[in-house]
Amino acid sequence: MDAKPAQPYWNPYVAGIGLGLVLLASFVIMGRGLGASGAVASTITAGLNAVAPAHVAGNPAFAEYLKEGTSPLKDWLVFEVLGVFVGGFLSGMLAHRVTKTVEKGPNITVSRRLVFAFIGGVLMGVGAKLARGCTSGQALTGGALLNAGSWAFMLMVFAGAYGFAYFMRRQWQ
Amino acid sequence: MPNVITNLSLNGRLAVVAFALGVLALFGGNPYKGAGASVNTKELSIKMATGADQVDAATLADWIIQGKADFRVVDLRPEAAYAEYHIPPAENIPVAGLVDAGLAHNEKIILYAEDGARAAQAWMLLTARGFKGVYILHGGLDAWKSDVLFPRVPGNATPAQLVEFAKTREVSKFFGGTPQALGDSSAAPQMAAMPKLALPTPKAGAAAPAKKKKKEGC
Amino acid sequence: MMAPFFKFGLFGENIGLVVAFLVGIGFGFFLERAGFNSARKLAAQFYFTDLTVFKVMFTAIVTAMLGVYWLSVLGVVDLSLVYLTPTFLVPQIVGGLVLGVGFVVGGYCPGTACVGIATGRIDAFVLFVGIFAGVWGFSELYPLVSGFYNATDMGQLTLPQVTGLPYGLLVFVVVLMALGGFYGAEWVEKKMAAGKKAEA
Repeated sequence: MDAKPAQPYWNPYVAGIGLGLVLLASFVIMGRGLGASGAVASTITAGLNAVAPAHVAGNPAFAEYLKEGTSPLKDWLVFEVLGVFVGGFLSGMLAHRVTKTVEKGPNITVSRRLVFAFIGGVLMGVGAKLARGCTSGQALTGGALLNAGSWAFMLMVFAGAYGFAYFMRRQWQ
Repeated sequence: MPNVITNLSLNGRLAVVAFALGVLALFGGNPYKGAGASVNTKELSIKMATGADQVDAATLADWIIQGKADFRVVDLRPEAAYAEYHIPPAENIPVAGLVDAGLAHNEKIILYAEDGARAAQAWMLLTARGFKGVYILHGGLDAWKSDVLFPRVPGNATPAQLVEFAKTREVSKFFGGTPQALGDSSAAPQMAAMPKLALPTPKAGAAAPAKKKKKEGC
Repeated sequence: MMAPFFKFGLFGENIGLVVAFLVGIGFGFFLERAGFNSARKLAAQFYFTDLTVFKVMFTAIVTAMLGVYWLSVLGVVDLSLVYLTPTFLVPQIVGGLVLGVGFVVGGYCPGTACVGIATGRIDAFVLFVGIFAGVWGFSELYPLVSGFYNATDMGQLTLPQVTGLPYGLLVFVVVLMALGGFYGAEWVEKKMAAGKKAEA
């Protein structure tokens, strides 16, 4: 998509400080942290609510995302996630890193990789629901606020990933 | 090669800053200072059940007349309402600023608003923050009006009630109120003109009703 | 004590949504800068060849933690008004495990998948569809699992409350752990790179 070679990524510590300052700004301005998975639930609720409002109202897992008098999409996390897309695209464009590609190791076919990606997504959706947040909402935000549940969650994410990494090695290496 | 060196030293510098802020945090104290509180729910529920959290209007009137100075009266209503009328020694502190208003934890504080509800909320706030002597004016300003400023006796009052009313009338006059005539039950007491805002000078012992106290023990 | 601005009513919901969008842009920008649009880079964390995930994540946590701590101590931010997700220990532990497995299987987490999509990663898009499926499926089955979902409700709970240690001490410990971790991460990366060279 881009003729120029992709620039190298930033020093991780500098990028981390940038990320931390964004999170801090969110604390200071809004009194809340970042998130990602919550926007998915809002989007699903909005879609279902347009088709089957009774079904949505009857299930607290959806109903909690309903908003009085307006769409579930008019939500803080939904707008934040839209921004994430834009910010990621901006940064990628500026560094010539926007490429239509599939990320995978050399020893796996594209279709298998995509199947794994889908399965990973499903697991992540379930995990994020159970934990009331994902790596952004729980680990980053809660981590910075010394939230007890978030730290337990974060340790378990690393435990789960490292524990299962062996079975996935052919996908990545 | 120079690139690696600057990179390393940048990381090193960042690490030093983080470490310094971390070490200082050891002496920084608790960032949650202020808003949190814990309450002894048992103690509070007993206080509420026994009415030990309330002062009735007549008692408060007595205290003021006697010139007692060991308590503070706090008017929780908006400034405009306060400017229009308030119980003479009251100071105006809106609920939002109550906790930070600099009240002392061991002071006797009497809270009131129009009725009991707002004062009860404020009572909870202060009690949760460890204020020991917080009381609600029973019935709020409404009770102050009906019991102190514009007292009435029912048309079929017993002689004992009439004697009592004579004392109440004194109190009412002291605060610039208008005691309602006998049998004058049709006129709502609140309709009478509110007294002018002038702090009556407390005359120790001058007011007869000073001795008559709480019929119901709060 | 005027921050968090939103909680003090300095602006309303709609401006808040604009802030959300801007904060999101910043979030996405730095995620991409760190290389989190690449599943290979993310997954390399779990094979010890590239520990960027750990470095970026803990640098961000330490930065935000120090920032919010000092702003609170200095009286700029009222920390009690910053939302703290309540702790439901057991579902969060299980959720963390499931999400961790999903991370190494799928290669992204929800936030980084957005950045991956934004930079053209097809696998990130497929994974994002998977997240939709997972969240939807979980929500449909919610009535069956609500008991577990709401188990071990411990309310808003911070590490200082759990450990009984002063907040400042824990801030120091986290900084120390992170710096030690960074030092270790650099060392591991060098070892792994050297090992690879030796193999080749």
